[in-house]
Amino acid sequence: MKFKNVAATGAVFVTVAIALSACSSSSTSGSSTSASTGAASTAVTSTPLDASLTGTITAGGSSAQANAENAWITAYKAQVAGVTVNYDKSQGSGGGVTNWLAGSYDFAGSDAPLKADQQTSSQAICGTGGALNLPVYLDGVALIYNLPGVTTLNLSTDTIAKIFSLAITTWNDPAIVADNPGVTLPATAITTVARSDGSGTTQNFTNFLSAASPTIWTNPASNAWPIKGNVSSQKGGSGVVQAVTAGSGTIGYADHSAIGTATAATVNKVAFSQEGATAAFAAAATTVPTATGDLSQKFDYSKLTGTTVYPIPLISYQIVCTTFKTAAQATLTKSFIGFVASSVGQQVAAKNAGSAPIPDEMLTKVQTALASVK
Amino acid sequence: MLIMIILAGVALFLIISAIPAITADWSTESQLNTGPTAGFPNFWAYVGPLIWGTLWSAAIALLFGAPIGIGIALFISHYAPRRLASILGYLVDLLAAVPSIVFGLWGIIVIRPFLLPLSDWLAANLGWIPLFGGPVSTTGSTILAGALVLAVMILPIITSISREIFLQTPRLHEEAALALGATRWEMIRMAVFPYAKSGIVSATLLGLGRALGETMAIALIISPAILVSVNLITEGKNSQTIAANIALNFPIATTLQRDALIGTGLMLFVISLAVNSIARVIVGGRKGKRTKSKVSPKSPGPLSRVPAGDFASATALDVVSGRSSAGIADDEGPTPEEDIEGARY
Repeated sequence: MKFKNVAATGAVFVTVAIALSACSSSSTSGSSTSASTGAASTAVTSTPLDASLTGTITAGGSSAQANAENAWITAYKAQVAGVTVNYDKSQGSGGGVTNWLAGSYDFAGSDAPLKADQQTSSQAICGTGGALNLPVYLDGVALIYNLPGVTTLNLSTDTIAKIFSLAITTWNDPAIVADNPGVTLPATAITTVARSDGSGTTQNFTNFLSAASPTIWTNPASNAWPIKGNVSSQKGGSGVVQAVTAGSGTIGYADHSAIGTATAATVNKVAFSQEGATAAFAAAATTVPTATGDLSQKFDYSKLTGTTVYPIPLISYQIVCTTFKTAAQATLTKSFIGFVASSVGQQVAAKNAGSAPIPDEMLTKVQTALASVK
Repeated sequence: MLIMIILAGVALFLIISAIPAITADWSTESQLNTGPTAGFPNFWAYVGPLIWGTLWSAAIALLFGAPIGIGIALFISHYAPRRLASILGYLVDLLAAVPSIVFGLWGIIVIRPFLLPLSDWLAANLGWIPLFGGPVSTTGSTILAGALVLAVMILPIITSISREIFLQTPRLHEEAALALGATRWEMIRMAVFPYAKSGIVSATLLGLGRALGETMAIALIISPAILVSVNLITEGKNSQTIAANIALNFPIATTLQRDALIGTGLMLFVISLAVNSIARVIVGGRKGKRTKSKVSPKSPGPLSRVPAGDFASATALDVVSGRSSAGIADDEGPTPEEDIEGARY
């Protein structure tokens, strides 16, 4: 009898698990299945991969690059079958860096480059050369909204800052009307939707707000949403998308690759496109090294005003030591990141995770930096 | 003994990890005046609202969950036909097997939109009560929704424990009550509830324990803010709970911020310990009183008359419940109060 109970409970567990995995595969891991087909059709890479390598790469961090990471791993394994790459996205950027600093990871995925003090403490595991922040993932922060009856919406930088700092509270505010000539806006109250968990998306979005509209957005850039008040805070990018689409008069921000079918507003009349994000990187990103050979990027948002560049790009990094503890692990990790930072790797992520390819010029720099890793 | 060592180890770990954050000056420390911990002068200003949020959400959950849970248990044990009872009991137990993340998703997709019309109505008609003060939520991610899902989550714990206790009520007690002409509900009030009182308290407190520590569902459903608030249906004034706050902010926390979060965990540990101790005092206190006064006025109740002189059933009683037979053994006869009570039937 007891056994029967256990068996039946187990059966329910299995059903739930299947239902869950079915859920997730429709949204995320669908990308990794198509990644293998993508890899099969583009078998040639710019960096020759050594198919005889064997070993395990352990990494973790940013959940923003998780989908891309899945695509990269699947495509990489198709060519180097002997290498297993484990990427733990549950850690988030901060957790990834912390674990990496503790020596548990071969590389960390992070939406922010190492801070000065982290760079210093990295010397404990990396030697005096410290660590390298390698930009490998580019996406945009999309502004999604749900306002019944309004199918197109354009927002200027200052209007975005006003909305998200709660200075504007209704949709027919003159500032929004001025951005949208010819569109009839209802008097619905605005509900801003933000992240309740700390997030690289929040970091990138507040970077943009504090740099592009400093007089209206007076809060510092932060990985935790700084505005208190009538803000709907949701867990994870998917939580934001869910709350925005389920609510009415809502507007929120999320990684573009995660918004699904939600309606995105244009920013300064520019809609997100992969080309737009790549162009934004090329136009406004400058390297601000925290160590020799480091490739930490900083955006000059004032340069992102053209009609072809998307104004709110999002960068994510892979962080590695300049000197690994063992040469074998260095070779493995260099091989994988070398693939990630190749044109082919960027195309795999663009196709399967919806990210924007990093410009070739920067990829060359990443490859050069990677070559110096021992 | 092993458990004590583990418990002490956990407490020690929490205290040692938390000390740097508790002693730091939060307004000047560069790791603590940014990100999730920005804007708090010290640790206590940070953890205070979180403690309130934890207790508040658990209290609302208990308010809904405990009566329903006990009601279901009573229905299963004393009202439902046997076949229905076993199916129902099985279903409620299954509820305990649902992972909390599934409850969270259920809360987001089903409960949040479901409660929107109710919160609109509450805000429009009862908005003058602080509980239902606005501005009303448009996405539904309110503490009300979170606490209702919590109530469902603690249901199986409360139900299964109470049901077991109810079923253990000595049959003789019940039949005696019925024989005295009590209706079924009167029988439950006279025989089952007094017998099961401490069990119900423990069941409720175990449910409370689950509600206090629940993380994922709360983190997913409510739109949190670190402040002390009693508002139930707003977007920005839902008091955050300790567990959900740790889950949300741990991944991005810097070293000191992690210590701060572990410090809040220490507070949760202390609260849970307090709840458990209170439970023990309540349960133990009742027992102690009984042995002291020898005669407990209500719990043996009408059945004290039944086993008198009936050796077999007295022995059976001893076997079924050591606790109340002690009361019976000391009972020298009906108290005046019982006589009056008995006279009614």
